[in-house]
Amino acid sequence: MVSRLRLKERGGAGSGLFSCIAVALALTVGCHTPPRDAAAGLARLPWDSVLARAKGNTVVWRMWRGDPSVNAFVDRWVGPRLKERYGITLIAVEGQGPEIVNQLVVEREAGSSGSADLVWINGESFGQLRRENLLDGPWAGSLPNGRYVDSSSSIIARDFEQDPAGYESPWGRVQFTLIYDSARTPNPPRTVAALGEWILAHPGRFTHDQQFTGTTFLMTLLYALGGGVGQYQGGFDSLRYAKGSALVFQWLERHRTAFWRKGETYPSGVAELHRLFANREVDFSMSYNQNEALAKVRQGVLPATARPLLLEDGSIANTHFLGIPFNATHPAGALVVANFLLSPEAQLEKQRPDGWADGTVLARSRLPPEWAARFDWSSEDPRVLSPDSLAKYARPEVSPGYRERLSADWRARIRHAGIEK
Amino acid sequence: MTGRLPARTVLLAALMLSALAPLGLLLVASLGRGWFFPALFPPSVTLESWGDAFRGGRMAVALWTSLGLAVCTGLAGAAVGWPVGRALADLRGWPRHLGAAAAFLPVAVPPVALATGLQISALAVGVAGTPGGVFLSHLIPAAGYAALYFLGVFTLFDRRIEDEARTLGARPRTVLWRVTLPMMRREVGQAFLLGFLVSWAQVATTLVIGGGRVRTLPLEVFAYLQAGQDRYAATGALLLVIPALLMLGAVQFAVERAEATPL
Amino acid sequence: MTAASRRGLLAAFAVSLPVLVGVGYSTLASLGLTGPGAAGEGSARIARVLGEPVVWTGLAWSLWIAAASTALATAAAVVVAVLFRGGARSDRVARLFAVLPLPIPHLAAAVAALLLLGQSGLLARLLTSLDLLTGPGDMPALVYDRPGVGLILTLAWKEFAFLALVAFSVVATRGGRLEEVARTLGARPLAVFRRVTWPLLWRGLLPAVVAVFVFAANTYEATAVLAPSDPLALPLLTLERYTDADLVRRGDAFVLVLLGTAVSLLAVAAHEWTRGRWDRLEP
Repeated sequence: MVSRLRLKERGGAGSGLFSCIAVALALTVGCHTPPRDAAAGLARLPWDSVLARAKGNTVVWRMWRGDPSVNAFVDRWVGPRLKERYGITLIAVEGQGPEIVNQLVVEREAGSSGSADLVWINGESFGQLRRENLLDGPWAGSLPNGRYVDSSSSIIARDFEQDPAGYESPWGRVQFTLIYDSARTPNPPRTVAALGEWILAHPGRFTHDQQFTGTTFLMTLLYALGGGVGQYQGGFDSLRYAKGSALVFQWLERHRTAFWRKGETYPSGVAELHRLFANREVDFSMSYNQNEALAKVRQGVLPATARPLLLEDGSIANTHFLGIPFNATHPAGALVVANFLLSPEAQLEKQRPDGWADGTVLARSRLPPEWAARFDWSSEDPRVLSPDSLAKYARPEVSPGYRERLSADWRARIRHAGIEK
Repeated sequence: MTGRLPARTVLLAALMLSALAPLGLLLVASLGRGWFFPALFPPSVTLESWGDAFRGGRMAVALWTSLGLAVCTGLAGAAVGWPVGRALADLRGWPRHLGAAAAFLPVAVPPVALATGLQISALAVGVAGTPGGVFLSHLIPAAGYAALYFLGVFTLFDRRIEDEARTLGARPRTVLWRVTLPMMRREVGQAFLLGFLVSWAQVATTLVIGGGRVRTLPLEVFAYLQAGQDRYAATGALLLVIPALLMLGAVQFAVERAEATPL
Repeated sequence: MTAASRRGLLAAFAVSLPVLVGVGYSTLASLGLTGPGAAGEGSARIARVLGEPVVWTGLAWSLWIAAASTALATAAAVVVAVLFRGGARSDRVARLFAVLPLPIPHLAAAVAALLLLGQSGLLARLLTSLDLLTGPGDMPALVYDRPGVGLILTLAWKEFAFLALVAFSVVATRGGRLEEVARTLGARPLAVFRRVTWPLLWRGLLPAVVAVFVFAANTYEATAVLAPSDPLALPLLTLERYTDADLVRRGDAFVLVLLGTAVSLLAVAAHEWTRGRWDRLEP
């Protein structure tokens, strides 16, 4: 019957549409595109050529977008100036280390063009990207503003002990601090040992998060209990790790029943920890940004009496870098952006206490005199740590292997302690 | 009889409270600054996050992206679900079970599984990181829900009216437009709403297929939450609720008006 | 096979093809043949992941959350659908407020729950102002807690709206005449409910209940906001593996994704089997 045919058509139309979609989606054959040495090639050209090629580029920058101060710096200061001076349109897109690595792996399998031209990476993510040949380079050495970089600092010249080798360019540095409330804790502990005693004396008022910052706290324990960062430098040593981690877990076992919620559950990230701290569920928070207290008080996330605290056993510091993926579509633009971010002007703006307050990677001694003076700033604000004490207690990161193992072992032994393996 | 009333009234009050209290809480959270324990009310109020939303900031962009995607998904989902659901309703016996199970698949498989599984296909075809690709990824579960919904509807559907119209000489297209669709206004509206809401609330598929480039409102709310920006998260959450509520109301209104007009 | 069957099966195939492609990719990835963490381990990876106690406690916890919230939501939906089924103004108002949470995303509901039920949340602050608590530590833990109370309540609140919507339409279209018959035959209200209303409601609600259960077991956003870190819910564990520092372990996430999918499919199959039994019982 005619009507039945029409019904079939309609049923077929719906399924036809779907079949088309499905067939398109079923194209999973991945071609392997060999890495193009676009940025590396550009790095060998005179800078003016790079600028010329970068004009009109749209640079997609995958970076952490979790802080309004950072976003304000990138969107409202960097973006307009790039447009005005170099004709580059900057698009900042959310993405952190592991996501970036996964995305590039899948993009390479699919043979698709790059979705990002510039990526904010360091440490583990850099190591993984290098091992998988997902980064373009070397190019960092060709940046004109590179001459200002403080390459004598082990914290800047090395990324978690790895050699950037020109595959990534530094652009800021941060340091780990605790945060306490001067109204609740007028005399906070200043060493790991004192902190341990404080925790036992104030049960349920301390905890750490499960992500990067929390692992940094565990690494701080490793350095402090294991005899200093010197013990762990020079690559990953499983024997030293075993000895050091045993001390860390001993300490945790001794103190964890005095942690928040008896150490049975941990906040997933720093944001949750800040929330607990601000709402008086715990008396300490942490951050891998020495100026977190300043920024978060201004944003109304932390109470006005919040203060940063450097542990005398050492405050771990690291540098964040910029990389160019192997399949970037606008490597010339990426090079120009990376160079601009290294300029004294950008570094100074980034460092402003009422903005992001991110540490600079430039060396005063290498800057022209009129700039060098402007980088020295001191503040009476108790929420700001003096550059001297920051420098005094700074300790470099060690091989990413320590972090990886410590984090994995913490999950197995402490977080899931209730489950027998 | 009078003994029943207090229970109903209590329950009615409880329903109203439970529906509105969370919204009220989010509203206060979206305006309060430094609202910490043990304060019952925020010490100071700011319109900062709402201002950002209405001045074309990040949240405004995300809102429009979400709206566009959701409307398209609702329409396309209903358009695909109708014929599929209808065809499935005609099945009998074991093919029916197979058909129903297949229709359930897009609904049952977690969006995360769908998204990570289809990411490489989306990249290969070149739709990853584009609104079009995200739309397609929303369409899969939306069409599934719509198909299931129409399967239920057409199972109960009395075909005799259609058969009568055809015996009176009407062409199938006429039967569809003049008889079946008008009867199904409420159902079509519900199917559109289903697809709209499915797309409106999607996080995993947008994140994976969109690759961070397509920013929808739920993504921004989640990002704000992870960044500890509770005030912005609460504002975003309310911005998620209001258009969806309006859409619910609009569909109800349109359906009721249409039903008021005689066939 | 009739033309109708062919059409129907083609439609079913078309609708499920993208899903099958996606699941297929996940299967390949979990065998280490593709994707992040591909190391060609083959089935050894699947064996390793499925041998971890963390995975099973995570799955069990997620199933507990799903079961508890679905049961609560179903009970509430049935009660409300039966009590407020009339055309009176109070009935219509009740039905409106019952479905109001429908467009509210789970994420927003979870945030509201955190603000309300946290140890430093509004409820705790209220109790503190009444001098019933001295500080957040005194408040019972309803979020980030092992039993998952806050999460269960949040999911139940959301799912109640959806199940109520379905229940209202079932009651409106199906119930009337059969119930009238039962009543005229002299059955008491409770008996009418047990013998007529409830079976009708249950049959009409079952697909929605299964969909809700499956959703709750696999949902990420609300769980991320309210769940504890141990037992680690399956969706949280999955994401954690996908972003693990160790690149090879990222492939574990695909195995977990397939596990979650398998559970969903089991639920759907159970639903179809139940439906099959009912269809055979019907004349």
